[in-house]
Amino acid sequence: MRRESFNLPGAVTFIAAIAIWELAVRSGAVSFDYLPAPSAIALAFVGIVRSGELFTATLHTLRSILIGWVLACLIGGVLGVVFGLSGFARRWFLASLEVLRPLPAIAFLPVALLLFNFSLTTELVVMVYASIWPMFINTMGGIANVASRLHDVSLTLKLTPLQSLAKVLLPAAGPAILVGARLCLGTTLVLAIIAEMIGNPHGLGYAVVSALLAIQPEQMFAYVLFIGVLAIALNACLLLVARRLLPVYGREAMSDV
Amino acid sequence: MSKGAPWIAALRVGVPPLRGLLPLFGLLALWQIINPHGSPYFPPPSAWWVGLAGLAKNGRLLTALSATLTTFILAIVFACLIGGLLGLLIGRSRAARRALGPLLEFCRGLPPPVIVPVGVLLLGYVQSLKLVIVVLVAVWPILLNTASSTAGLSDLLVEVSHTMRLGRFATLAKIVVPSAVPAFLVGVRGAIPLAIIITLLVEMLTSLPGIGSLIVISQRQFHSAEVYGLLVVVGLIGFAINGLFVAIEGVLLSRFPPRASYMQGN
Repeated sequence: MRRESFNLPGAVTFIAAIAIWELAVRSGAVSFDYLPAPSAIALAFVGIVRSGELFTATLHTLRSILIGWVLACLIGGVLGVVFGLSGFARRWFLASLEVLRPLPAIAFLPVALLLFNFSLTTELVVMVYASIWPMFINTMGGIANVASRLHDVSLTLKLTPLQSLAKVLLPAAGPAILVGARLCLGTTLVLAIIAEMIGNPHGLGYAVVSALLAIQPEQMFAYVLFIGVLAIALNACLLLVARRLLPVYGREAMSDV
Repeated sequence: MSKGAPWIAALRVGVPPLRGLLPLFGLLALWQIINPHGSPYFPPPSAWWVGLAGLAKNGRLLTALSATLTTFILAIVFACLIGGLLGLLIGRSRAARRALGPLLEFCRGLPPPVIVPVGVLLLGYVQSLKLVIVVLVAVWPILLNTASSTAGLSDLLVEVSHTMRLGRFATLAKIVVPSAVPAFLVGVRGAIPLAIIITLLVEMLTSLPGIGSLIVISQRQFHSAEVYGLLVVVGLIGFAINGLFVAIEGVLLSRFPPRASYMQGN
């Protein structure tokens, strides 16, 4: 993809949208009771930065996202490799997983609450359950679709199965696995916020809900917009890392799926 | 190769052998055998059934189920209409794409669950709240996919419409829309799980009637058998919706097949 030059009309529209929002609220043209003006949101943002609340909440959420993401990538990746390599596993176990896959992860939240109460474990259970799948499906597909020529290469070179996995199969499946890891990160973030809203009273998700319940709209919007920026930044970081790791395939694999 | 109606063929693709279900049933049976009377935390599957029957008996299950499904279906229909139309409009106009680009990217990047509190704050706890929020969440993947595919429409196809002297409307109906269908479906495929999750989340957070609030009420009262039973119900809903979508997608894709050349052009 070609890098576009600076998008002036885009930036202008963005700023105009904020200005219209500000004007609409100030002039009383819109009739929502609790819609704060952007300037009030900016003030509230400064407030939560100064009080340290934003920092604590962000730290909690980022930490659980990181733990959840690593766990989900490991579990999903290992399962994906096993199911990608073994026809036996696909024949005798895949259908069970396929039945569990469309189960919306949020329904696990009450079960996890029942078992682990309001805790980080509850949050992680839900996050990991939801984010295993993109990693699993992509890794399995990537490994299963490795060209048979490459299998012949490992045979010719007399690689042990482990060597052939590390040197031939995983690199060949790399782009698909990276796509899985990226989708996995997005899912982890969404589920972390959901779990914090309902299951674990810490972090950014909880901050949003508690600002809502305390009827502090300015603060709530400040958190919501910050979460949006955070999500975009995380995705951008991953794209950057992926391009470094896989300069050749990276661009193709990381362009929008 | 197997022939048959496109929807049957679509359902058959990628279905692993059914004997693969045995481990799951095995585990459930083992659960039942090991723990027939049930700890409060791990009630056996037979107790789930009893719990569900109890909920069904006083009609709460059916009311909740219909509330949740109505919201979900209406939301997906609205999201398809709005997302598809806006996607076509934005995709057709380069100026609109440039101008709205950053705004749309931000909205796409915003994690869907945070839209729920915003909706609650602005609209209050009203019945239409659920629908509005779910539509707002589900519309993005559909809109953005349709827009980017419409924008990538090959010049060759545009020239075809000039050559054949098609009017604006005919161009839209015969060339633009059919070539956008596959990408539109990819968008819907992304929107469906989001819409289910957010429907349940709104119900859990606001206690508006539905499966989400039912399951939270059962959990707060420590009726664990009901919680597990409702988990199975939600799973079945997810499974059924997924199957239905695959079937519909199969029919549509057999009528409007994706063409690589539509995308490359440029």
